[in-house]
Amino acid sequence: MTVGRQPLPQGTLDLLVLKALSLQPLHGWGIADRLQQMTGEALQVGQGSIYPALHRLERRGWIKARWATTENNRRAKYYELTAAGRRQLESEVASWRRLAALVGRVIDFA
Amino acid sequence: MLADLRFRLRALLRRAAVEHELDEELAGHLAHLEQQWIAEGLDPVEARRRARLALGGLDQTREACRDARGTRYIEDLARDLRYAWRALTRKPALLATAVLSLALGIGANTVVFGIVSAVVLHPLAVPDAGRIVAVNGSGGPSHSFPNYRDIRDRSTSFDDLFAYRIAPMALELDGPATRAWGLIVTGNYFGALGLAPAAGRLITRDDDGAPGESPYVILGYDLWQSRFGGDPSIIGRRLHINQHPYTVIGVAPRGFHGVDVFYRSEVWVPMAMQPQVEGWSWLDSRTTWNAWIAGRLKPGVSLADADAELGVIAAQLAREHRENEGLRLSVSPAGLAGAYFREPVEAFGRGVLLLAALVLLAACVNLASLFSARIGERQRELSIRIAIGAGRWRVVRQLLAEAVIIAVLGGAAAVALAAGLLDLLSRWRAHADLPVQVAVDADWRVLAFGLGVGLLTVLVFGVVPALRGWQADPNAGLKGPAGAGPQRRWLGEGLLAIQVALCAVLVTASLVAVRGLVASFKMPVGFEPDGLAAATVELDRAGYDQARGLQFQQRALERVASLPGVRAAAWANSIPLTLDQSTSSFYTEGETDFRPANALKAMVYNVSPGFFRTVGARLRAGREFTPGDREGSVEVAIVNEAFAERLFGTVQAVGRRFRHGGGPPIAVVGVVESGKYRSLTEPAQPVVFWPAAQKYNGSTMLLARTARPEGDVAREIRDILVSLDPELPVYGTGSARQNIGLVYVPAVAAAWALGAFGLLAVMLACTGVYGLSSGIVARRARELAIRRAIGAQSRQVLDAVFRRIGGALGLGAAAGLAGILAARPLLAHVVHGASPGNPLVIAGAVMLLLLTGILSASGPARRALRLDPMRELRQD
Repeated sequence: MTVGRQPLPQGTLDLLVLKALSLQPLHGWGIADRLQQMTGEALQVGQGSIYPALHRLERRGWIKARWATTENNRRAKYYELTAAGRRQLESEVASWRRLAALVGRVIDFA
Repeated sequence: MLADLRFRLRALLRRAAVEHELDEELAGHLAHLEQQWIAEGLDPVEARRRARLALGGLDQTREACRDARGTRYIEDLARDLRYAWRALTRKPALLATAVLSLALGIGANTVVFGIVSAVVLHPLAVPDAGRIVAVNGSGGPSHSFPNYRDIRDRSTSFDDLFAYRIAPMALELDGPATRAWGLIVTGNYFGALGLAPAAGRLITRDDDGAPGESPYVILGYDLWQSRFGGDPSIIGRRLHINQHPYTVIGVAPRGFHGVDVFYRSEVWVPMAMQPQVEGWSWLDSRTTWNAWIAGRLKPGVSLADADAELGVIAAQLAREHRENEGLRLSVSPAGLAGAYFREPVEAFGRGVLLLAALVLLAACVNLASLFSARIGERQRELSIRIAIGAGRWRVVRQLLAEAVIIAVLGGAAAVALAAGLLDLLSRWRAHADLPVQVAVDADWRVLAFGLGVGLLTVLVFGVVPALRGWQADPNAGLKGPAGAGPQRRWLGEGLLAIQVALCAVLVTASLVAVRGLVASFKMPVGFEPDGLAAATVELDRAGYDQARGLQFQQRALERVASLPGVRAAAWANSIPLTLDQSTSSFYTEGETDFRPANALKAMVYNVSPGFFRTVGARLRAGREFTPGDREGSVEVAIVNEAFAERLFGTVQAVGRRFRHGGGPPIAVVGVVESGKYRSLTEPAQPVVFWPAAQKYNGSTMLLARTARPEGDVAREIRDILVSLDPELPVYGTGSARQNIGLVYVPAVAAAWALGAFGLLAVMLACTGVYGLSSGIVARRARELAIRRAIGAQSRQVLDAVFRRIGGALGLGAAAGLAGILAARPLLAHVVHGASPGNPLVIAGAVMLLLLTGILSASGPARRALRLDPMRELRQD
């Protein structure tokens, strides 16, 4: 059995980015790396597409950004969750679980 | 929410910084990926390639980020505006024409709106002015003072009701007395208006005591500033009014000149001082209707509620006092003498506003056709843009952006223009001696109106070209310049026809107004105002009794009559068409029941011998007064034709007799032609002239008929009066025309306004015809040049170009003239006796339109005839 690359459903990238940031502040490519790590490279995410997602999340006040120096002494923009972002992540995770469970029940029904 | 706003603002205002940060992030990301691949052993070129692949297209990412920032719409708008501005400035002549015509169109409307707003809508500078109303009497704003007391005490619709009286006063500060326009007011006047003093205190109910016990005066703010430099120590100063001592107790607030917009009061004294100020008391007379009433409506009480209550009170008062027979009472918004001036002024304002709107509409149509032609020229560019993938909406938005820029520029220019004109108007005074001044501030309402109308015009003139942009067909547009369909070819002519129709309406209206003005100056007023010099003194108010007064009048007349170049001289208490007019009740000789219902109300003048010869009024029968008509001799009168017809049923009235109140019969010794007495538009009014020596009146207007300049003679009359009594204030010094100037104001205003509109309309029509014809010549240059080359006559070429323009002109003119004939009743509110159907007016309008068409098409026509076939064919 082969595992194909899975396209990302609409609107879930924001959730994944929030999740990636929930452990520690990260810069752009750090988030990309973390996503790859978390999904085992099974998800098909153009790395560039996280930037619009970051802008969206920042606009809503769920993350905030600041410039800092990386371990390799490079300037990078670090993003971190705000309190509102943390609440948002919890509620989205909960609703995602409910949805997944519901869909699972429907599929298993027959 | 707040974070969102802050983020978007930063994205918008620090756009470059935000973009730069994004680029830095992406570069960092790329470098990171590259290093990863290199670390795994790839060569740098391959590493870079893979890194780019992983990140995806940089430009797409940037665009997606811009979308995510939520500022896309505004950024696009800014870009559209920048692009439109560049496109517009490439054609500065078009931009200037468009902005100028819009500025003039909007400016005309803004000026008219400013005046209407100041005069009709917001005439009063007091708190909550909307609740201040005036009480109308039967035939005007006047009431008897006992009626005022009754209305005030019985009505419940008002928080307070006050009375006031317009009164000129001789004001003596340091030097000789000067005349000031003042108001005599009840103690609740300032309180009901909700005013606070600029200094000292205002008149209050405490000043309503016994007659003569409150000799206090309030100065107007402007007078305080101009005469006393705003010195607060003026409070408590003594001065003299009509030679009685008064104390200054306060200064009225800045910008307050009384309740009525056309009368600028400079001083206020308490009603208790009325007998002293005017020399006699009417405070307890039910037959003297001298008080005007206004007040503040209670909250929640409508005009209709107040009308209903006043109707009941009027019926009561009519029952209780027979002087009030037929009394009617009602309320109107204050500011224009109740309904008396408000109704004609509102009708006038509405008519002028409507015509001004037509000017603006003409400007919009003009712009629509200019822009429509411009789109025609840019068809190719638009087609290419659509062909390479620009959305139609995007193209239309860009065309609309041009319209918005022009509208905003035009609106701003219009507001500046209007503010300047309104400022000029505020400085204008009908005559130095008249208390009339219309203070029009270009306030926020005027500003908002100008800009609002500007944006509204975008909808009108921006839509047509935008539609054309929407319909732009990339295939047809790219094939060549001849691709316009038949329907579009008619658009230009259609717009031109509309423009010409509007122009015809406005030109006709302006001709009607100018004719009206000429007619009103030529209108026989019953005397000959040209060549008549005048100056006036008030003897009663200077403490003269009848014997001394009569003596003064005789001596003054003798000296005036002997002035060089004076052919005839006389005096009278007043002349027709000035502000100072009085009426009285007359009865037939046999009348025994002297009720108002049986009376003939007529205007009265007290005139000296030689009056009719001096003012140039024609006696139809009988004689002038002579020195023999003195006190003690038989009481006589001269009446006008209207009086004779109304009372005796015939103009052959010499020798007939009539009664004035219950007195002995009075014999008619002369009948004079009827004239105009209050306004130029009134029907014939009955008038009685008394011999000044039998019925003394202290108001003394000295008159001299002369061939010399009236102003010079008037100054000599003033010098004579001053030499006879240096204490007397002399006013109204000037020509009779100046003294009666106010009655010509409506005709002058109409001629100015409508004349300006007509001129603007002609200018717009000129640019319209010019634009369309030069557009046609440019578009068909090649074809015309070929026709010319193969032998077409000049006439044939011109016919090809101008036939349809001529058709549009003819159609538009016919429609316009039909329109103005249909709108005649409306025009009659603006110009008295408007006659748009007059053959002279129609011929004049047609001539003007024809001339406009020919002059503005002559340039393009010459170009069409001079086309060089070789040059035209060599293009492309």
